[in-house]
Amino acid sequence: MAILVNEETRVLIQGITGTQGRYHALKMLEYNVKVIGGVTPGRGGEKIWDLPVYDTVSEAKMNHRMDATMIIVPAAGVLGAAVEAMESRIPLIVIITEFVPFHDALQIRSLAAKDDLCVVGPNTIGIISPDRSKVGIMPGFIYSRGDVGIISRSGTLTHEIASNLTYRGIGQSTCVCIGGDAVKKTDFIDVLKMFRDDEETNKIIMIGEIGGSGEELAAQYLKENHYPKMVAAYIAGLTAPREKRMGHAGGITSRGCGTPEAKIKHLTEAGVRVAGSMDELLQLVK
Amino acid sequence: MKLYEFEGKSLFRQMGILTPEGRVAASVSEARAAAEELTFPLVIKSQVLSGGRGKAGGIKFAENMMELENYVKDLMSAGFSGKSVHQVLIEEKLAIAHEFYMGITLDPLKSLPLLIFSSEGGVDIEEVSREMPKKLAKEHLDPLKQYQLYHMVDIIKRTGVSGGSVLPLAKVLLNLIRCYFACQAITTEINPLVLDKSGRAIAADSKVEIDDSGLARIKHMGAFKREDETLDPLEREARRAGVSYVGMNGGDIGLIAGGAGLGMASMDTITAHGGKPANFLDLGGDATEEKTAAALRIVLKTPGVKGVFINLFGGINNCEKMAKGIVRVVDEQKPNQAIVVKMRGHSQDEGWALLKERNIPIITFGTTAEAVILLHAKMKEMES
Repeated sequence: MAILVNEETRVLIQGITGTQGRYHALKMLEYNVKVIGGVTPGRGGEKIWDLPVYDTVSEAKMNHRMDATMIIVPAAGVLGAAVEAMESRIPLIVIITEFVPFHDALQIRSLAAKDDLCVVGPNTIGIISPDRSKVGIMPGFIYSRGDVGIISRSGTLTHEIASNLTYRGIGQSTCVCIGGDAVKKTDFIDVLKMFRDDEETNKIIMIGEIGGSGEELAAQYLKENHYPKMVAAYIAGLTAPREKRMGHAGGITSRGCGTPEAKIKHLTEAGVRVAGSMDELLQLVK
Repeated sequence: MKLYEFEGKSLFRQMGILTPEGRVAASVSEARAAAEELTFPLVIKSQVLSGGRGKAGGIKFAENMMELENYVKDLMSAGFSGKSVHQVLIEEKLAIAHEFYMGITLDPLKSLPLLIFSSEGGVDIEEVSREMPKKLAKEHLDPLKQYQLYHMVDIIKRTGVSGGSVLPLAKVLLNLIRCYFACQAITTEINPLVLDKSGRAIAADSKVEIDDSGLARIKHMGAFKREDETLDPLEREARRAGVSYVGMNGGDIGLIAGGAGLGMASMDTITAHGGKPANFLDLGGDATEEKTAAALRIVLKTPGVKGVFINLFGGINNCEKMAKGIVRVVDEQKPNQAIVVKMRGHSQDEGWALLKERNIPIITFGTTAEAVILLHAKMKEMES
């Protein structure tokens, strides 16, 4: 089963002619992803790795059926690309680009919420259902198929946990990186709901970090709904100095909100097994 | 980026919000020239980025030129409460009838901007929220909505304000919302918003933070791009190299991580194993050979660093390019600090091969904790 992405998923790449777009299109093809083509305004008619390039998403839609789009355009163009994808009603929109302006992210989030569209990101490595497909930029070979679902704010922590699970013979059903920015559409709760109904997923790992309140809200959801599956969590940033930005726009502790202590407390109270270290997290889902 | 009060006020004026008559001065002579164009009594406000300025002694009132010169001289030379002052804003003192509060910032619970209006201003708004909640109106803002004056009137009236002051306040509130969206702001706040004795609503202070990723879009409104005064030289060098670096005092292990989450997790792991991180460094995306080399040079220069932990992934980045950057610095500097690299992902074999040639210890399939343990062992070897 897996969630969001499987071997049937047909993927469009917005920004396929850029350096990153080209490179990751190839990596996706090597992972046997059904990439149907790409979009770059003004580059319609060209081919990238034998894939057709279109000027607009609607032109691509006239020629192909598609289930997902991966947006990997420069930050200034993300809002436009996302609106285009949303207006074309692509069921899954994954925004890889980092440094998307805050107000553009607000717009994207509100538009997606209004029409109940599934937008993941911005600032994410994407989604992978190992050995089947991915809409993202992760190195597929460090992931493996199994029954652990991963939800993470951090891209490289997703790589870290998934690869170390893989080396210990523990596979993953689907890994969803929801992105490191303060404003994003898909949050922990949305993915927890999907994993709840996914037969392949038996255990779930939440990888959180300081700042924001997605982990606290997820804890509330888990508690109120007597969540039926085992959830383990790890929160990065226990030793980070307060009020300092640690790279991500979302990773800041401010006014006492979003402290690791608060997150750990809420999650523990909700029955989540919170690991004190990444190594302990690996043990919890053994 | 946080703006100075005078910068925030310049944005306010461009958005139609009144501010007190004032001038910025960077010296006593500039202050004197400014005062000659203004009418006493004047307020001298230190331009610093931290809050709580008034209580800490950063704001002075001058009745005449002599007082003004003395205060400016004092602030510029000695600063206040341990803060140095490079610029002051000199403004005409307002004839205050009442003080209000208005502010907009992101509510992380809803991922929506939250507008707060209070009929009590000039004080800590969290205190008002606790002790006089009825004087506070809160409204989540819909980024897709066109707000009108009547929406603002509704919000203001909820706090018990009525009569002739409603309209001038509503106009400022609407302009503050416009400012928040048009200026790519993460936070816009006026505390206090003064209603003066002639019935005008004037922003007596400004607290504005602009989204760094949106800064280029408001170039026409002011040249705010500058190097943050709160950065130390290494943080500044890192900013120029395009990496996110935070120095930490008293640490012994330098860190280069791919991604903020992995960086923080690496710091936590270093600490759990008895070490102390000397810095946080997120290499970010688009990690070229040059960028990786620049990051390593900065970490090696960080005071107290005896060992360097490099924890990277080839996801958006490429292991070979990053390994080339590491090798370049090792070749040019022959550092006497221990270095351990944990790296996997796209082009990992090429990356590992480059590092192996230089005998740089690598963790290929291990965990972050294993890498930290190896680094400790290497640091011990280097000591003996």
